[in-house]
Formats: sequence, C-alpha cells, structure tokens
Amino acid sequence: MSFMSSQNRRTLIVIFITLLIVCQMVAYVATTPRPREQFFQLYVLGAKHMAADYYPNNDTDIRLGEPVTWYLGVTDNMGSVQLVSILVKIGNQTIKPPDDQQALESPAPVVTQFMRFIQDNETWETPFAWSISDAVSSGNATHILTLQINNETYQIQDCSASNGHNFRIIFELWTWQTDANAFEFGWTAGGEHRVAWLQVWFNMTSPRLA
Amino acid sequence: MLQWGHALGRYRYMACNRDYLNESQLPRIQSKLAIIAVLALLAVIAIEPFAVRSQTVGTLEPRFGQTLVKLHQSETAGATSSEVAELVALLNKALELDGEAVKLNAPDQTQKRADLRAQVDQMLTTVENRAADLTVVASQRSYTNKVLTYVGGAIAAVLGTIAYAFIVAFYQKYRVKRTFQMRVTRK
Repeated sequence: MSFMSSQNRRTLIVIFITLLIVCQMVAYVATTPRPREQFFQLYVLGAKHMAADYYPNNDTDIRLGEPVTWYLGVTDNMGSVQLVSILVKIGNQTIKPPDDQQALESPAPVVTQFMRFIQDNETWETPFAWSISDAVSSGNATHILTLQINNETYQIQDCSASNGHNFRIIFELWTWQTDANAFEFGWTAGGEHRVAWLQVWFNMTSPRLA
Repeated sequence: MLQWGHALGRYRYMACNRDYLNESQLPRIQSKLAIIAVLALLAVIAIEPFAVRSQTVGTLEPRFGQTLVKLHQSETAGATSSEVAELVALLNKALELDGEAVKLNAPDQTQKRADLRAQVDQMLTTVENRAADLTVVASQRSYTNKVLTYVGGAIAAVLGTIAYAFIVAFYQKYRVKRTFQMRVTRK
C-alpha cells in the first residue's frame, strides 16, 4: 500500500468500514427471522370441494339416513407445528353460538372431534360424511338421537328443535396450548386471543314417530 | 357509547374554555368529572374479564404436549420443514393409534388397548429422541450458517474495498494517460 497517499488510505479505511457496516446489516437481516402474522384458517366445503352444494339436491331438509358429505380443513399459519382439534357440536336455534368477543365456546353438546398435528403452512383436510341415523318427533319437537359421522355412530344427548327446523352443526377450532398443557378454544397470537368457528344450518322435518 | 363520547367531548370543550367559566361552575365540573371517573372505573370492573376457558379434550395424554414442546424446540433451533415433516407424520400415526385405543372399551379388549398404548408411548419416545437430536443438529447448522453469513459480509466488505482501490487506481492512471496525450495547440 506504499503507493498510496495517506489521504487515499484514509478514504479506503472509511469505505471499508462503511461497506462492513452495510454488509453486516444485510447479514443480520438475512439471518433474523421476520415476524409475521400468526393465524389459522378453518373452512367447510361442500360435496364438490367448493363453498357450495352443502346439501343433497340443494335441499336444507335432511332426511333420515340421507348421506351428506362436507370437507373440513384447517391451515396452520402459526410458524410452527400445532396440535389442533376440530370439535363438532350440534345445536338448535336457541343454543348460544361461540362468542367471538370473549372467546367462549358454544355450550352445545360435543358430538365428536378430529385431532391432528399440522406443520407450518400445511393444510389438513378431512372428509366429513354424515347422516342422521335416528330422529324422533314428540309433539312439536324433533329430537335427533343418533348421528353417523364417517361410518361411526354417535349418540346425541338433548338436541331438539321446534318442528325440526334450524338445527345446526357447529365446528370449533381448538388448539393445544403448551404452557397450559390443555386444549383451548382458538389460539393466542401477538398477545391477542382469536377464535375460529363455523356453523351450517339444516332442517330435519321427517323424523320417525315416537 | 356515543353518549359518553359526547359528554366527554363537552367537558373537554369546557375545560379548554375555562377562562370563560365563573367560579361557581368550576366545582360543579370537577364533581361531574369525579362522577364520570367513578362510573368509568365501575364499568371497567363490571366488564367480564377476557376469559379463555381451557379444557382437556378426550383422553389425550400430556405426553403429546411434551412432544410438541420438543418439536417446537427443534423448529426454533432451525430444523427444516422436511426434517420436521417426518416427525409430524409419526405423531399423527400415534394420534390415530391413541384414538383406536380410546375406542377399545370392552373388558376383553384391555390387552389390545394396553398394547396400543405401549405402541403410542414408544412412538412418542422415538419422536422425542429424534427431536432432541434434530435440535442439536439444527442449532449447530444455524450457528454455522450465521457465522458464515457474517464472515461472508466481512469478506464482501474487504473485496468491495479492494475493488474500489483498483477502480480508483485505474481511473487515476487513465487520467494521467489522457493528460499526457493532450496536445497543446496555438489559437
């Protein structure tokens, strides 16, 4: 470097330090994971894998033994592996739906649940083939007694609707909270608790007589 | 809510213009503000706290939760999605077996249920061990990558400085050459 004047040397030192700072900043940005929004997606699709055709022949009145096929899906955008559970509940018009504001689940009875470990950015989809295998009518009320979901029969406790109108199946997304060591309705991200739930209404106006 | 906002806005307006208020009005405003403050405090207390109820669903063993923690540690250490995918597949298989074990309620199925539980336990142990190994490997890899990136940055700075020095040197040579090539002409 003897061919250089002291001024050139100083300039070079300044340039080196500037480049070093810039390159180290680039390295820091490249090695530091960027924060992103954390959330889940929950969806229900109809028989043709679309947000349509939820009922056979587009008739919301489901008959005894009539098969209905939906697809349940969850997408994990939490940035890590998550253990999720979709709770399937059955209710009528008067039962409370989940409370978005206070993150409270619906008091409707749980029929079954689907559990799965999902990776980050992974979508898990499962068929939900169901039918009403037994329902009775007593007075004005129609009681659903058993549901068949994915070839398994589930006894339903205390689910009735006036004239068989406005039953609903509620899907709630629960996630495993590692700090609480339990499932919680919804998830916590960025200090905020969020919930995801869906409901599909149907009628059951042709029960057997009690 | 609108009424409250309106009321507060009115008081703010009055506070801003307190030069126009006489002395008898001031204590009244203060007492009203005190009432508002008390009411606001009561409203905050009355609002139901943000409650998130947690519950354990089914017969899921806490082991699944422990294994999930180990998996999170691997991911934090920098394990790739393909490395984690293998363990997630095993965990889902364990979940399926656990679900099958739950359905075996008959007295004659006790042995089968115990076998399934043992199998699930074995799978979870395997996942935990692999996750621990993965955490070590991934953290070493992440550390090496980080060091290499920073060293790369330093090398880039050195190369940039050398390039600058060469460019300046060439430019100076070019300028000298051009100067000596100049012809002086009389006008």
